[in-house]
Amino acid sequence: MAYPYVSDREARVISKHFGDPMQRRVDTYVERGGYGALKKAFAVAPAEVIDVVKASGLRGRGGAGFPTGVKWSFMPKEPTRPHYLICNADESEPGTFKDRELMRWDPHQLIEGCLISAYAIRAKHVYIYCRGEFFETNQVLARAVEDAYAKGYVGMDILCSGNDIDVTVHQGAGAYICGEETGLMNSLEGRRGLPRLKPPFPAAVGAFGMPSTINNVETLSAVPHILSNGGEWYRQWGSEKSPGTKLFCVSGHVRRPGNYELPLGFPLSELIDDVCGGMREGRTLKAVIPGGSSVPIIDAAEARACKLDYEGCAAVGTMLGCASVIVMDDSADIVKQVRRMVDFYAHESCGQCTPCREGSAWTAQILRRIEDGHGTEEDLDTLMEITQQMVGTTICVLSDSVAAPVQSAIKKFRGDFLARMQQPAGVA
Amino acid sequence: MSGQAGEAPFKNPGWAGNTGEFDLTEAEVRGDDFVGKRPKHGGHPSGAGTLPYMLAEKHPEAPLFEGEHKERLDKILTRYPDKQAALLPALSLAQEIRGHVSPETMDRVAELLDLSPAYVRGVTTFYTMYNRRPVGRYLVQVCTNISCNLCGAEEVLETFLRYTDTELGETSDDGNFTVIEAECLAACGYPTCVQINSRYYENVTADEVLKIVDHLKARGD
Amino acid sequence: MPDAPSGMVTLTIDGHEVAVPKGTTLLEAAKRVGKDVPHYCWHPGLSAPAQCRMCLVEVEGAPKPQPACVTTVMEGQVVKTESPQALSNREGVLEFYLVNHPLDCPICDMSGECLLQDYVHAEGRKHGRSHEPKRVFGRDDFGGDVLFYGDRCVMCTRCVRFMSEVERDDRLTVVERGNRSVIDTFFDEGLEGTHFHGNIVDICPVGALVSKEFLHKARAWDLSHEPSVCASCSQGCNVELHVRDNLVQRVKPRENIEVNAWWMCDYGRHDYEWMNEGDRIEAPLVRDAGGATRALGWKEALHALLERAGGVSNRSVRAVASARASNEDLGALAELVGALGGGETVFRSRRAADEIVLKGFPKLARRRDLAPNLQGAELLGMQRVGSDDATGGLEGVRDHDGIVVVLGDALDDQDASFGGKAGLFVYLGAHAGAAARSAHFVLPVTTHAEQEGTFTNHEGRVQRFWPALRAPGMARPAWLVLGALVAELTDGSVSRSASAAFARLSDAVFAFAGMSYDSLGSRGAVARVPAGASSGSSGAGA
Repeated sequence: MAYPYVSDREARVISKHFGDPMQRRVDTYVERGGYGALKKAFAVAPAEVIDVVKASGLRGRGGAGFPTGVKWSFMPKEPTRPHYLICNADESEPGTFKDRELMRWDPHQLIEGCLISAYAIRAKHVYIYCRGEFFETNQVLARAVEDAYAKGYVGMDILCSGNDIDVTVHQGAGAYICGEETGLMNSLEGRRGLPRLKPPFPAAVGAFGMPSTINNVETLSAVPHILSNGGEWYRQWGSEKSPGTKLFCVSGHVRRPGNYELPLGFPLSELIDDVCGGMREGRTLKAVIPGGSSVPIIDAAEARACKLDYEGCAAVGTMLGCASVIVMDDSADIVKQVRRMVDFYAHESCGQCTPCREGSAWTAQILRRIEDGHGTEEDLDTLMEITQQMVGTTICVLSDSVAAPVQSAIKKFRGDFLARMQQPAGVA
Repeated sequence: MSGQAGEAPFKNPGWAGNTGEFDLTEAEVRGDDFVGKRPKHGGHPSGAGTLPYMLAEKHPEAPLFEGEHKERLDKILTRYPDKQAALLPALSLAQEIRGHVSPETMDRVAELLDLSPAYVRGVTTFYTMYNRRPVGRYLVQVCTNISCNLCGAEEVLETFLRYTDTELGETSDDGNFTVIEAECLAACGYPTCVQINSRYYENVTADEVLKIVDHLKARGD
Repeated sequence: MPDAPSGMVTLTIDGHEVAVPKGTTLLEAAKRVGKDVPHYCWHPGLSAPAQCRMCLVEVEGAPKPQPACVTTVMEGQVVKTESPQALSNREGVLEFYLVNHPLDCPICDMSGECLLQDYVHAEGRKHGRSHEPKRVFGRDDFGGDVLFYGDRCVMCTRCVRFMSEVERDDRLTVVERGNRSVIDTFFDEGLEGTHFHGNIVDICPVGALVSKEFLHKARAWDLSHEPSVCASCSQGCNVELHVRDNLVQRVKPRENIEVNAWWMCDYGRHDYEWMNEGDRIEAPLVRDAGGATRALGWKEALHALLERAGGVSNRSVRAVASARASNEDLGALAELVGALGGGETVFRSRRAADEIVLKGFPKLARRRDLAPNLQGAELLGMQRVGSDDATGGLEGVRDHDGIVVVLGDALDDQDASFGGKAGLFVYLGAHAGAAARSAHFVLPVTTHAEQEGTFTNHEGRVQRFWPALRAPGMARPAWLVLGALVAELTDGSVSRSASAAFARLSDAVFAFAGMSYDSLGSRGAVARVPAGASSGSSGAGA
């Protein structure tokens, strides 16, 4: 299957069945070995499951990169109150489109991952919080959950193991901030999706006040494979600190955009030139955002030097984030794109914290004025200072995400901004 | 109706780059062939909260909730430890039936879930997908965020506005279309992504917009 | 190094070492070394969302500045509230607040007591850097007494949380998100039907929520603040009377965690106009046989009164007191009744149909008894009579042929023949109604707003109040006037201060034993009630 582009450099672990509609059917899934990992997990103690995942070094694939096994180990060992596993399927980071594909091509992989994870953290209920816009995807997922219930893989006494785990698919209503784990919990509880203070952490006080763990779709999709093959197996890819494979979402000015599952540490330049077929006819690379719009922009030179794992991206002054690679060639209008990204953050800011609420909108206003040709150099200094006031001063990091593209763009593409001050928008 | 494996008369029926090496039908990509139509009463309770279609037929005065819709709400309520958690699914369901969330709708949902109307107003207005005013038969949401923006999204948006003869955020005179900008719809590899009611249209270019608009006008739904 | 006592944590704040109980927040700990860390969203009576970001302080070793209002102390922590980083944070946050703020101080009621003004003046930037158009929300009528100026709002959400957590009636919410967010009600529902919404105007740190009644009435810096006790019901909320031009301009609650915390109800809050009422009895009046009155000086008037009293054949007394008079006034009245020849004292008091409890702080309720000192009167052996609208009950008094003394009851329901048969009818009050027409002596006394004194609330708490207004004309406190009469009749001494008047009470009445103005302070203390005492009194031990 060639969905839609496949590269032979890929290591397709969780995206193996992209493009195969049969994979959605529970019978097909089981025939291909599905729900075998679940059986394996039930055969050992939850603590052992956590150890396997810890050994694999799997890190959260939603952007934060926190070691998953360690996160699970924060949950109380002896439940005195209900525990919840929440799957964060509120994919809204600009440039990211992997979770949607995972859910619509391999929903049972996700369900199995949720079940194993719930077992490990002693949760009896799984909420899959899906983005509201994903109507079609959610239907696929909901149908898969229904089939899994019918076959006894979800619900009471799963596979006669004595374990009861329920799954509920919960649909969001359009708010990027509900992808933030504490904002998600508030939204799940039927509130405005405002992020919460940490501490207390979700493992102590989570959804409905109960100990909860929130994991990304991609993270949970990897879990059945890790259980089936062992933690060490997962380490055959990637590096010591960043093991395993990652779905890279490539978009923008490349010939073959799409999702590619590659070992962590894959060189960015090879991703662009080899896997994605390089730049469009007659164009040269100008800038890349390697981890979704919340991470600093890197220029072409830094992109050539960048290895796509957590440490590699940090080394060139950016972050891996959720590995959404947005590629810009020399036709890209950096000023406009930065303004558009900040417009996005201003639109999505929850409004709790003053620096973000006022700062994101103010930053957007200034950038719009610069884009329209009425900016000054002083504005650039102001932007640097006010976005710096937005870093580290708020409850969640949406505020920091405004600073990342603005500050990196002004530092590395100052010329673009200055040129705009002599020429209004519309003139290349 | 969304979810139909229908014929769309334009070249990209919903997946990226039709290079010829790829032979899935639209239904197979969307999952329509697998899922089919979901029943109004919500099917299995685990998925009862996910189903709202954007129905083209809207009934602003419809009672909340009756018959199969009430059955669906009851199923939803069984999935959460308290009534407040069912607020988002209940509002989505109310919007499905009535087309938008009016103050009366907020009040009614508040009553059903033992919440104060002011609280429900606060929650409703936080989320983008709850329409506070009636919208056209087709809510056209064009993603103009960075990945699509780099690949001509603004042109697609302008073309939609032109062919539907409407202003941004307004409903066309014939009541068919409301066109708005959307934030990233998570189809960045298939620019430009346009969501029309429940359905995603991917790889939309400006020269395909007219066909989509005509197709929708003719469709009835 | 000796072990710290268990439960205490020692830390350093701005170079000062301080030991506080475990669990104390940095904000509270800083207060103990005299540092008031600027903040908006935190309030001692509400939850702490830590969202205004004003209270961020530098904590050594922490990667980011910490919100002082929710960060708890740790042993050995080193905290800086005035470091360059902390100052720059506050300056930055204040700049963000001013991006869209209308800076309409000249027409804003909050000017002079506004925390945005104060903080910006102390630590804000001298010039704003925004050249962008400001967003405009305009003015919104929230119903009740509240107007909302959305442009001034700093989104601290104290008002929303008060209605939700304390009044427990979710009337306010934040609508929209991001910088479009604004406080609002459910469309036209507003705040109608709530009973404590005036508190949101108190806790709003800026001029976003203002009182309609107080709108453009007086400037904050022209007002003097006088501590008092609310006289509208028997709860005894501690309040401040804000005065300008010898008129009470508004009433605000005063903190007392034992009685009303930081709150008061809307009825008491707006029940002060009567304190400003004119048309007072200006001088002691004596009525001659023909019915005409003339004004006398105090000495002459009291002398004439005692002379008349000496000539009355039936010296038994029927007195009408008031549950709105102070303990000192009532105590002196009781003494006078005894000195004249003994008798009964009754009082009337309005009573509401029900109590209105503040659900989030149930110690506070708008009580059924709509007077501040019903308990005080009962502890002195006075008896409540009449109906719940304070009418009737005076059948035994109106035609008494001995001595009739009326203190503070306007006798609105009585006709001009009231007391017409009395040998001596003395009326002491602020206003003279029709029923005082037969009084031989009409003596002007002060309201509680014009004198020092104490009230005893529904649970027996004795609380001090201080004068806020100057008494009109020759009005004097009732305890002074009645005390002078008693002194003459018994050859005793006159109390020359309210404190001394109270001391006489605490000597004579078991319930007040051991109390003094010093011991009562500004928070009050609960009176002793003997076993089997009348209903309504409570409070074991002082």
